[in-house]
Amino acid sequence: MRNTRRSLLAVAAVTAGALALSGCSGGGGGGGGGGEDGEVRLQMVETLTNPARSAILKELIAGFEGENPGVTVELVSPPSEQAVSTVQQMLQAGNGIDVLEVQDSTIGPFSSNDWLYDMNGDLEGWEGWDALTDNALRFAQPDGPTYMMPYGFYGLSLFYRTDLVEEAGFDGPPHSWEEMIDQAKAINDPSQNRYGYAFRGGSNSASNVVAIIEAYVADDLDVENAFLLKNGDTIFSAPEAQEAMDKYMELFTEGSPPSSIAWGYPEMVQGFSSGSTAFLLQDPEVIATIRDSSTLTEEQWSTTPLLVGPTGKAAQPIATAGWGVADSSEHKEEAMELIKYLASGDAPLTFAKGNSLVPILKSAADDPFFSEGPWATYVTMNEDPETYLNVTQPRGVAWWQEWSEKSDRELQEVLLGQTSTADLLATWDEYWSGKFASEG
Amino acid sequence: MPSPAPAIERRTAVPATPVPPSGGEATRRRREFSRRRALTIAAFLAPAVAFVALFTYYPMFSGVFGAFRNWSIYNIENQSWVGLANFETILRDALFWKTIGNTVLWVLGSLVPQFVIGFALALWLRRRFRFRGVYQALIFFPWAVSGFLIGILFRWMFNGEFGVVNDLLMKTGLIDTPLPWLADPALAMPAIIVANVWYGVTFFAIMILAALQSVPDELYEAAALDGTTKALALWHVTIPYIRTTLTLIVLLRVIWIFNFPDLIFGMTGGGPAGQTHIVTTYMIEITQQGDYGRASALGILVLVVLMVFASFYLLATRERKEAHR
Amino acid sequence: MITLESRAGRITRIAALGLWLVLTLFPLYWIVVTAFKPTSDIYKFPLEYWPSTFSLENFAGLFSKANFGTYLVNSLIIATVSAAIVTVISLLSGYIIARFEFRARGAVILAFLVTQMIPAFIALGPLYQLMVSLGLVNDRTGLVFVYIAMCIPFSTIMLRGFFENVPDALEEAAMIDGCSRLGALFRILVPVMTPGIVAAFIFNFVSCWNELFLSVTLLTSDANKTVPTALNGFITSYNIDWGSMSAAAVLTIVPTMVMFAFASKYIVQGLTAGAVKG
Repeated sequence: MRNTRRSLLAVAAVTAGALALSGCSGGGGGGGGGGEDGEVRLQMVETLTNPARSAILKELIAGFEGENPGVTVELVSPPSEQAVSTVQQMLQAGNGIDVLEVQDSTIGPFSSNDWLYDMNGDLEGWEGWDALTDNALRFAQPDGPTYMMPYGFYGLSLFYRTDLVEEAGFDGPPHSWEEMIDQAKAINDPSQNRYGYAFRGGSNSASNVVAIIEAYVADDLDVENAFLLKNGDTIFSAPEAQEAMDKYMELFTEGSPPSSIAWGYPEMVQGFSSGSTAFLLQDPEVIATIRDSSTLTEEQWSTTPLLVGPTGKAAQPIATAGWGVADSSEHKEEAMELIKYLASGDAPLTFAKGNSLVPILKSAADDPFFSEGPWATYVTMNEDPETYLNVTQPRGVAWWQEWSEKSDRELQEVLLGQTSTADLLATWDEYWSGKFASEG
Repeated sequence: MPSPAPAIERRTAVPATPVPPSGGEATRRRREFSRRRALTIAAFLAPAVAFVALFTYYPMFSGVFGAFRNWSIYNIENQSWVGLANFETILRDALFWKTIGNTVLWVLGSLVPQFVIGFALALWLRRRFRFRGVYQALIFFPWAVSGFLIGILFRWMFNGEFGVVNDLLMKTGLIDTPLPWLADPALAMPAIIVANVWYGVTFFAIMILAALQSVPDELYEAAALDGTTKALALWHVTIPYIRTTLTLIVLLRVIWIFNFPDLIFGMTGGGPAGQTHIVTTYMIEITQQGDYGRASALGILVLVVLMVFASFYLLATRERKEAHR
Repeated sequence: MITLESRAGRITRIAALGLWLVLTLFPLYWIVVTAFKPTSDIYKFPLEYWPSTFSLENFAGLFSKANFGTYLVNSLIIATVSAAIVTVISLLSGYIIARFEFRARGAVILAFLVTQMIPAFIALGPLYQLMVSLGLVNDRTGLVFVYIAMCIPFSTIMLRGFFENVPDALEEAAMIDGCSRLGALFRILVPVMTPGIVAAFIFNFVSCWNELFLSVTLLTSDANKTVPTALNGFITSYNIDWGSMSAAAVLTIVPTMVMFAFASKYIVQGLTAGAVKG
């Protein structure tokens, strides 16, 4: 019977292994509940995950835990490709999430499902309100409801290669779309694996199309709802939009890598930071990424303000993300403490510096970090609101996600030559007119 | 469905019923025996059935019901019954029909080269040589890599700027400028199929090799006496002998390739413009958009198509086999 | 039919086998080379087919920037435990299906085959809800259970083919000698079937080791993450870190490669004997 006994032993060992597993992972259980000695365990979920950012968050969390004995925070970082669906699943199950990252594109569906807690009441009399910038207040909404406390702002600036622009015989960086397209075409040389512009043809591609269209219609633009003109028509219906689209297609065919049809955020950044493209229109976050990569030296690149259209103006959409509290959280009091911690004192600046975001605190104006080097561009744009209009895009609408999937696909069809730019603009005009009309 | 019917005859009810002694004693013992037999069957099957029922079938059925509901992230609390509306949306969706075409292309385009190259390798591997074991172990390597990771490997190799494929093609003078492999639908589809062929050939090679080795030598000796050439022997002796095996391997592969979104998901994510979506990757995209109801409806269509395919396939091959006899 | 081979035939054979070997191993070679290049050289044009400077920075980064060690241990434990349990469970079920004729037999086989045809995504949402109500979310044991269910059907069908190759007489003799059925199964059949069992175990191990979507959904905390999830994480919203990705890919492939090297004989025998029977 030796063999039998041995097999039984194997089964027993396996079972014991399974039990041991459940034993040692018990602490990390999704319930998030309190421990025996009154310990509170918060689960905090991020969705724009990247390893460097997670490291900064962990530092901030350690600081918070130091100030709040008895509270521990577990940071959950799903891979960013899967993050939103993972969070949705967790919220839908009402399971475990206390604090979560809320993006301007997810706040619509999350709040309409009552998954987000209105923090406004808990923030009454909070001393942190006074330190926030106007932009931060716009999103945190002191008059309620407060579903999210912003942690920073994104804003477009043009990253460019100082060396390549010079080699191609230009005096300096482009100021307008027109100039940039000329420079990109001059620099473009596929046989050297060198391209002009890191074109966005993949995920979220409409954001850059909208940027050029808004620059072309800037004089008539409704700044409160930047998908509309002052006369109430959509920006896609304007004749200048067609002009912008034609320019944009020229940029794609003559100044960009062909594979950029499929480029989303990561590929664009990689295209620029690997030295392959000379221009990149992106958020300030990229500053940190390029500094981290060892391919480009500090002298090889810089930033310049968002490109203007024939109007001489550009429209800077305000984009943000922040932290919110899940409605299903059983530890709202502690979760609110964490929200406050992340939005006041040193924490917001640490976070904004590490991830290179436009900070939420007024005091950042005195911090040299945010006015030097690539950051100077943001100061320039801030000081000249006549040229660089601050506009709000309707990113909080419930159909934003649907729009971005739809527009991604339709723009790619244009880039592949399956649809014309005129048809594209007509479709988008119809879509947004219809949506706004049905909303009332 | 692959019915187990033809296999029944060769299976003996274990252990053979004892010679019945006379009278009530025999009945009692037989009843006792069949009760113990039923208990054994139940006890041995219980763990497998329990796990599959709880963790596969239960969620699957919940998912299936979702196909008839308005089950979406935008209004999760109110899941109203919508009948066949989700199916209707799918059938009216032009991209869905594109994915059907792509799926057929993906399955056939992967299967045929996998089969042909796999068969050829198996024939060449039949002859013993030194290091044959090592060789088999080496070419088996793709099989150990996950579909997602294969997608990533090939995405890197087909990269438009730093991809090694472009570099090699340019070095050999086949192209002058780099090709945007994964950005042009006309190139992206072949690229993902190449990756899948790379992945699947070995599986065929090993399976077919084993089947070849099961062909008794006497058959060939008889054929050789008749003066048959090698090629004819292959056609008249080998293939008929291993036809059943080939049928089953092909069936299994078709189902797996059909249901294998991982590679495409890692390589192109279905892009550009949804032009490399197959039905199952399209389903992932719809799930990620938050329209769970429509994704479930798509899943049901996949299941139905595969079951119909499997039944017809088995039926057709069975008839041919009978005709052959 | 192993006959004498012509010279031309021999050359063709060797050339063809050699070509396929190169094609098979090239992607592996390329990912290894990429993994050992410093970041700046990964994006160097023209491409380097052999790193001009060898660098371990990508590997070091995995352990300093991310807890790759933890992920490896998690994956190793989860895949080993799942594969072991699945193999034992499907030994029992495969045995019954191979040896007994009973009414529900066809239904069980059909039910197992259907699981191979369901796109896994259809069940993901409800499965998550189920795991929440069982308290098994973000718990490695929970994932083990799900993996067991995932692997049982194919493993059963594979082992059943194996049992059918072993004559009944073996265990009948043992049972006449007074062994219980379970005793006969483990004492007599298991030793005879070692190749098949090893093959089934490795097949199950590889499936669990490589699984991505269930793991992403069910294990959320960093301490519980598995290797495929970590790999997916290198595609961030900001950048695709090809250096870290390649290094992680190499570390992911190595354990399965090692396993294959030791057991390739069994795998080939096992897979074929099992599946050929259908």
